[in-house]
Amino acid sequence: MTPLHLSYFMTFIISMTGFMLHRTSLISTLLCLEAMMLSLFIATSVCPIQLQTTSFMLNPMLILTFSACEASLGLSLLVASSRTHNPNNLQNLNLLQC
Amino acid sequence: MVFFMFLFEVCFVFWIISVASGPSPYYGVVGLVFGAVFGCLMLVGVGGSFISLVLFLIYLGGMLVVFAYSVALTGDPYPSAWRGYGDLFCMVGYVLFVVGAVMYCFDKWSLEGYGDVVMDASGLFSVRMDYIGVSWFYSYGCVMFLIAGWGLLLTLFVVLDLVRGLAWGTIRSI
Repeated sequence: MTPLHLSYFMTFIISMTGFMLHRTSLISTLLCLEAMMLSLFIATSVCPIQLQTTSFMLNPMLILTFSACEASLGLSLLVASSRTHNPNNLQNLNLLQC
Repeated sequence: MVFFMFLFEVCFVFWIISVASGPSPYYGVVGLVFGAVFGCLMLVGVGGSFISLVLFLIYLGGMLVVFAYSVALTGDPYPSAWRGYGDLFCMVGYVLFVVGAVMYCFDKWSLEGYGDVVMDASGLFSVRMDYIGVSWFYSYGCVMFLIAGWGLLLTLFVVLDLVRGLAWGTIRSI
């Protein structure tokens, strides 16, 4: 694998691992999710550039759009849950943690 | 230029390791900002300057600013850098994973992929490819354009309904 492809591939794996193993609050989980979206954007941008196919440039735009929607929803859930529960105790939301 | 591209890739992976293994979200946001900067520089290096500017504006200037505000709203008052050996083991584990992957792929690396494919097909096109590729939104991608716009509008209303709430349910105002 060339260094360019290896870099975003490793970024995706590492941020997914950090997403699974979050030890502190929910915000660090959302940050790892954003890092996954960043690596996906770079992956879907590099692919049509190197294969010289212009029409696949829509793909990273759509990924960015829907990741903005998902990030805003995750943040609103975070803010809503930190209003009623103590913001220091967000690491107690760990039912789905590995 | 090859060295610049390699440096950007290494720095990108480094900052994302700091996001994934840092305990405090304040430092995670900083790491994500710098990781996005180096990701943009990587995209510039392969020739996609328009797509890099889009990432800069929308991701860094839009989403990460909102993330910084949310972290300031809900973050802990005494942020910690590294609290013990657990975080150090996480970072060392990620670095070892990166080093292992590099050692696995190292003997197949060459100068391929560093600027051999340029954005105007080595002179065949008369326009830049990434900019023109996004303009497909207005011709054959118009349905997807409308769906994405409608999804963004719907997200606004969903967020409004999630953080609303006066006296019922578990979501209340402070």
